[in-house]
Amino acid sequence: MLAGTASVDEFAGHAPTMASFDSGGCNFRDVLVFQAMFEIGIDGRQASLPPGLHPTNPPTAVFQAWHCPQSPWGPFTLAQARVGCRSGLRPRGMAQGCVVDNPEAAESLRSRWGLPVRLGEVRLDTSYHDVALEVAIDGRSAFAVHAVDPTPLGEDDVSYATTVSLAHTPRGLRLVQIDTDLAARRAERVTLRRPSFDAAVFGVHHSVRLTHPVAASLCRGELDLHPLRYVCLPDVLAFTGTESVD
Amino acid sequence: MKFGIFFEMSTPRPFTSAVESAVFHNALEQARLADELGFDWVWAVEHHFLEEYSHCSAPEVVLAAVAAQTERIRIGHGAVVCVPEMNHPIRVAERCATLDILSRGRLEVGTARSSTWTELGGFSVDPDETKKTWDEFVHVLPKLWADGHASHQGHSFSMPERNVLPKPVQKPHPPLWVTVTSPGTELDAAERGLGCLGVAAAGYAEQERRTKDYFRRIESCNPVSSVVTKEVTTLNFLYCHEDPVTAAKVGMGMVGTFGLANSHLLWTREAYPTRAYQSLGNLASKPDRAKTGGPGDAYGIPEGICVGDPDIIVAALKRWESLGLTGINFLLNGLEVVPQDQVLASMRLFAREVMPHFKAR
Repeated sequence: MLAGTASVDEFAGHAPTMASFDSGGCNFRDVLVFQAMFEIGIDGRQASLPPGLHPTNPPTAVFQAWHCPQSPWGPFTLAQARVGCRSGLRPRGMAQGCVVDNPEAAESLRSRWGLPVRLGEVRLDTSYHDVALEVAIDGRSAFAVHAVDPTPLGEDDVSYATTVSLAHTPRGLRLVQIDTDLAARRAERVTLRRPSFDAAVFGVHHSVRLTHPVAASLCRGELDLHPLRYVCLPDVLAFTGTESVD
Repeated sequence: MKFGIFFEMSTPRPFTSAVESAVFHNALEQARLADELGFDWVWAVEHHFLEEYSHCSAPEVVLAAVAAQTERIRIGHGAVVCVPEMNHPIRVAERCATLDILSRGRLEVGTARSSTWTELGGFSVDPDETKKTWDEFVHVLPKLWADGHASHQGHSFSMPERNVLPKPVQKPHPPLWVTVTSPGTELDAAERGLGCLGVAAAGYAEQERRTKDYFRRIESCNPVSSVVTKEVTTLNFLYCHEDPVTAAKVGMGMVGTFGLANSHLLWTREAYPTRAYQSLGNLASKPDRAKTGGPGDAYGIPEGICVGDPDIIVAALKRWESLGLTGINFLLNGLEVVPQDQVLASMRLFAREVMPHFKAR
């Protein structure tokens, strides 16, 4: 049976540290969420998922950006690079790299939710027919893509998998489940164009290569970042490795 | 109440020729036994690229072998994926007619549109088109099977007047079904006079609703041909053993393993946002944060599983029967976790101790 084969120790060196599980929750209004999915090679999948997660076939990388004009930390834009997976039987994306343009947001997202956030430049620009996401760190491009030809969808037609992230927690190294809910007011599917991706700059394993664009979507609405509920051991499947923290 | 067996050809790693060969030949042995024991159907799915979960990409070939090795059991092509990138409708008509001849008129034809990005993406299929092409296929197939020449000017394909040969033995054509994964597809089946071949695990309440809706709607259907197939089946697992503890240990191991393989599929809905796919596929209900537990919970295991001693299974089947189902199809194994001799013993015990409670009436 398929399972991840990534070295947990390799990830541990870059994993954020959380002092407690008392994250609280946050509500972000008037959020713009953009998600782009690509198929990736099997090598990249296996190098990115620890044995506690099992993969999808085909393997995928998902880039998700949030533009939040209002937050407790001021406006911020965040971009995550995740590899698609399953925790138990549930769809998940494991955070590989995360960039945000606001230092306070970066600190909170690292220490309260365990996201592997680094400071950088993230731009999510939209026009009538075009979406552009650009992510850079220290002036070096980590990811850029355009998406065009919006097709309107119903608010429930778009579903985003929950993120899991490896972090040093009060219980040791754990996969932290970061629950979000998006109440979309408007949703569109868009077609991906001209992706460029530098895994090393984004903090993603070098073997992750984008092999085929799948689809992208753009939503406007309200995003809830929920208090933490579960963490999982990184080297045991979730059926036996899940711990409640709420 | 009719009973069928249902082949996914789920295959454990490593995918050596010996392992794959064993899966297929074990299935053929199960089909021969099912024929002897009085099962009504043997179905084989069509799936592509689904590592471990299903290696049954050429069901028409499997079913030709089944037809040649059995005498009585009906042969379920369940289901042909009705998108032209995978199956041209003329080839579907030709293959099915040939199977109907070889099986001496025992063919049932299931139709489907695929629910995974793994498959649709692999064939570069536009997910927004599959419902349209499925609808076109089910309307055109009866015309291609009818005696004489046919032509078609349509959405996904067109053809000038030709005589599609051979013609099926069953007249005017074999019974037509549609696989039901997404809620609402049972109504698509009913409106067209097609059988409802359930392939997603639905709980008792959901199945009862679907069944009632189906039978109500089919009364006023606009059938795709002069034949109306008025049947509702669901998919279940079967492991029957005299000792309920042994049954649970072995059978639920099979259910869990199959569910895990199922979870590796990339569902169209999660990959490609669209109105055309509203479900995350079989065995996976949409999580409700307020009601579901953590990732350790095996929420995909459905109600009414036919794993247990004969009494447990009779009770479960009577509940299913009370909902109005006309048949149940069983997965007999998952990734070969149950040794073949135990699968065959389970089938024999089921036929001896369970079937008479339903067949006698």
